Amino acid sequence: MPKCTINGKEVEVKEGTSIIKAMVDSGERIAHYCWHDGLSVAGVCRLCMVEIEGNPRVQIACNTTITEGMKINNTSDKVRDAVKWGLDFHLINHPLDCPICDQAGECGLQDQYMEYGKYDPEMAEHKQKKHKVVDLGPTVVLDSERCILCSRCVRFTEEVSKTNELGIFNRGDRSEIGTHDGLELNNKYSLNTVDICPVGALTSKDFRFRQRVWYLKDAETVCNGCSTGCNIKAYYNREGFFRVKPSYNEKVNGHWMCDEGRDVYKFVNQEHRLLKAQVRGAAGWTEMAAGAAAKKASEVLKAAAADSIALVLTAQYTVEEYDAIVSTFVNEFKTKKIFFWINNKESFDEFDGLLIRGDKNPNTKGLLKVLEKHGITATWNELSAGLASGSVKTVVVAGPENQAVFKDFAERAKELSKAQNLIWLQAGKNEALMSLTGNVWLIPTKTFVEKDGTFINFAGLEQKFKKVTTVVSEALTLTEASLLMAGKNLAIPTAAQPFMPNNQRVDQVELEARKKNEFVFRRGSL
Amino acid sequence: MSEVKVLTEFYHLPEFQTLAGYKAKGGYETLPKALKMQPQAIIDEVKASGLRGRGGAGFPTGMKWGFLPKNGEPRYLLCNADEGEPGTFKDRMMMERAPHQLIEGMIISAFAVGSNKGYIYVRGEYVYPIECLYKALKEAYDAGLLGKNILGSGFDFDLDVYRGAGAYICGEETGMISSLEGLKGQPKLKPPFPAVQGYLRKPTIVNNVETLAAVTYIVRDGAATYRKHGTEKSAGTKLFSLSGNVMKPGNYEVPLGYPLMDLIMKEGGGMKPGRRLKAVIPGGSSAPVLTAEEVGKANLDYESLAGLGTMLGSGAVIVIDDSQCMVDMLGVLSHFYAHESCGQCTPCREGTGWLNKILHSILEGRGRLQDIDLLIKVADNMKGKTICALSDAAALPVLSFVTKFRDEFEFYVREGRSKVKGTTYAEMHH
Ligand SMILES: Cc1cc2nc3c(=O)[nH]c(=O)nc-3n(C[C@H](O)[C@H](O)[C@H](O)COP(=O)(O)O)c2cc1C
Ligand code: SF4
Ligand code: SF4
Ligand code: SF4
Ligand code: FES
Repeated sequence: MPKCTINGKEVEVKEGTSIIKAMVDSGERIAHYCWHDGLSVAGVCRLCMVEIEGNPRVQIACNTTITEGMKINNTSDKVRDAVKWGLDFHLINHPLDCPICDQAGECGLQDQYMEYGKYDPEMAEHKQKKHKVVDLGPTVVLDSERCILCSRCVRFTEEVSKTNELGIFNRGDRSEIGTHDGLELNNKYSLNTVDICPVGALTSKDFRFRQRVWYLKDAETVCNGCSTGCNIKAYYNREGFFRVKPSYNEKVNGHWMCDEGRDVYKFVNQEHRLLKAQVRGAAGWTEMAAGAAAKKASEVLKAAAADSIALVLTAQYTVEEYDAIVSTFVNEFKTKKIFFWINNKESFDEFDGLLIRGDKNPNTKGLLKVLEKHGITATWNELSAGLASGSVKTVVVAGPENQAVFKDFAERAKELSKAQNLIWLQAGKNEALMSLTGNVWLIPTKTFVEKDGTFINFAGLEQKFKKVTTVVSEALTLTEASLLMAGKNLAIPTAAQPFMPNNQRVDQVELEARKKNEFVFRRGSL
Repeated sequence: MSEVKVLTEFYHLPEFQTLAGYKAKGGYETLPKALKMQPQAIIDEVKASGLRGRGGAGFPTGMKWGFLPKNGEPRYLLCNADEGEPGTFKDRMMMERAPHQLIEGMIISAFAVGSNKGYIYVRGEYVYPIECLYKALKEAYDAGLLGKNILGSGFDFDLDVYRGAGAYICGEETGMISSLEGLKGQPKLKPPFPAVQGYLRKPTIVNNVETLAAVTYIVRDGAATYRKHGTEKSAGTKLFSLSGNVMKPGNYEVPLGYPLMDLIMKEGGGMKPGRRLKAVIPGGSSAPVLTAEEVGKANLDYESLAGLGTMLGSGAVIVIDDSQCMVDMLGVLSHFYAHESCGQCTPCREGTGWLNKILHSILEGRGRLQDIDLLIKVADNMKGKTICALSDAAALPVLSFVTKFRDEFEFYVREGRSKVKGTTYAEMHH
């Protein structure tokens, strides 16, 4: 374990640690573009300069391994001057695009310029012209003029996704990123290239031009796209959620997440949500507050015989919620007819070797754990039989939050609607539910970003997460719904408002229009 | 002093190109002797000879061989025949006139470093030298000089020619390795150095044509004899490619330490009638230029030239007389480097382009006086900051041209035309 001194601070590192890693880990500031902890060392941006005592020349920190007693600094005038020039070389051909660039506000060039730049540019020559708005594939757009050729995206496709679509073509200041002949950037992890691109050269088709990043807040949570449970950051503001990015967790996802997971923010937003409870009786559908609907449902449950009540759970809720609802059913309603609605059974155990798992639920292990704790062993066949024979009369369902991964949704909904009373708790709207007949309570629930809780991932790792924000204020957690259904009193906000007004703002409407206005991408002639 | 022909003694004989002709002059007589030696003894002899790399950097060859790991790991011997440094054309002559000399040197070197596989990486434009090498390789294989169990010694060595596509950067040893691996010709980050992890991630030695050819003579005559020529620190003879404004341009083999002025005036036959010497680039276009006055003090050895702030480089001596415009010349050089930068490292990729653009702005009459200092600032900040030395190679000519011939640059900026030629860029080039 070599010891070294970094900017006067003594630091002990693991054998083989590079200077840059030690600096980043110990919170020292060091300019860098090409180095990324999850990729091989390229050593091309030449920005991570440090001075090492006894060596007259400045060195790059990313390709220098720390040895015992090394004295390193990156605050001397010599280093600062080297970084300033290194930065200037990055900027001389860079377009002044910031006002229309999606990266503005989180751009490596802007950040370093504020730290090392602030000079009058001396470049008086014509800038290099390169391709702009290059359609790289289904998810990503390239602006070659903004690209600083750090090669992170290329190394990502070589080393992480192992799909090798990207390369650097041409030489010198004509160098440009591109896709190899006949290929497009099209893999299950492609959007990570956008995250690691230090500038606005790679932009996500989904996110570009939708928000200025300084109007976004972000918070950490756990992706609910599959049983891996990648740690993510969700970005949102009063208009809704706009994107998610991976958040480093060595134990789970490292630096990355998959493209499918990028979509989890979508079903959270109001346009896909049940904003109010819908209750169907003899007279058809009526709208009411979620809390009031749950209260009404409690009357039905109270009146029902214990052995006629069943509960159906999907694996998309938190451990805490399962505990609450299962306890309520076992203890209050005295039923053990509690069933696990398993979606896509066939591909449940699939794994692509990197992150993506076939179990498209974030908390299968959590649900199984709670069911086991309460000694629940019921199988779906028993439920089917009960529904067919009419012995099961009242069914409460905690439906999926991510409906897209429930291919059997309509079919199961139809089967469950054989019950006299169907109390369906769910976050999102669904056509199949609205076409059901009989007595139906459709009660809105909260999504994963709207509550604290725990998911247990495929490996049994418990991941606790905190509420990010509220999107639908009157939606209930399963815990709240169980209390209300059991006839307990609970202060649930009934009116639409606090965080997001339910009536869409004018600019929200415009935003929708903008989203639909698909870009026509064309590859510039070479 | 005058020319001393060690390597080039028989270059005037056309038959020296063939196996028979080479053998007639003692060729392949050293090889069996070498194959009976201990490999380490050959390395020691090369160390003792003081042989330094003739490709440009002048790194002691024996020492480089000593960096190889001392284990049985397979290793490669690569001959750098990319010869891209502007002004250099000695390797070409060596491969054309004496391909067997290189092959014998490579077999001996391979035996010394324990390599069973070698490549000669030749720049693509060298069509005729490549043809000569192919012929010679066939002859050597047919005669049992290459392949399995060479001359019954039990030593195997396979040698092949790899034809490059003509990029300057593929002469940089790790760029060459990338190219040989089938990758884009881009230098690799060091460490690891090739001797530890080179071609196909195996230990690899890269040496210039002339370096490898000299090994045979060191083994034949012994280090002491080799050292008779040259200076204490720059031992032996070296080929110099003399070009530019001299009467007799060509390749000349002289002992290291030979006065630069003598090479120009004696071997080179002096200046063209009525012309005065203005400047000399002594070691290929990357070496800082010397003024006429400095040329008088310069000897062709590593130390003397380093003392004058320049370098011996590849041994390409480019003579510049008083009819040449230094601004125009630097424009040509800067264009070369901007074109040849591989583009990995930001300071080199952007800096070479920037220098080239500033120079062409000056040449085309758009120059500003502050551009002259800007050239120096930009070049200064490209030095010592990159993966390979191309960035330095692009910066050094700029620094030396601008500082030593500043008046020509200032005149050009003020007047929009060449001080020497009196004409504008458009007039000079049409
Ligand atoms: C840009 C650049 C171009 C080079 N081109 C050549 C070349 O064409 N031939 C050569 O022998 N060495 C060239 N070199 C030097 C090689 O990197 C290397 O030092 C040399 O081949 C080692 O052989 P030596 O020790 O026998 O000189 C070049 C170096 C640089 C930085
Ligand atoms: S990449 Fe950064 S510096 Fe460049 S235009 Fe975008 S925000 Fe501005
Ligand atoms: S597109 Fe972005 S990540 Fe890729 S090389 Fe350019 S700057 Fe780097
Ligand atoms: S210094 Fe220039 S030529 Fe050498 S590796 Fe870097 S960019 Fe390529
Ligand atoms: S981060 Fe070290 S060279 Fe780019």
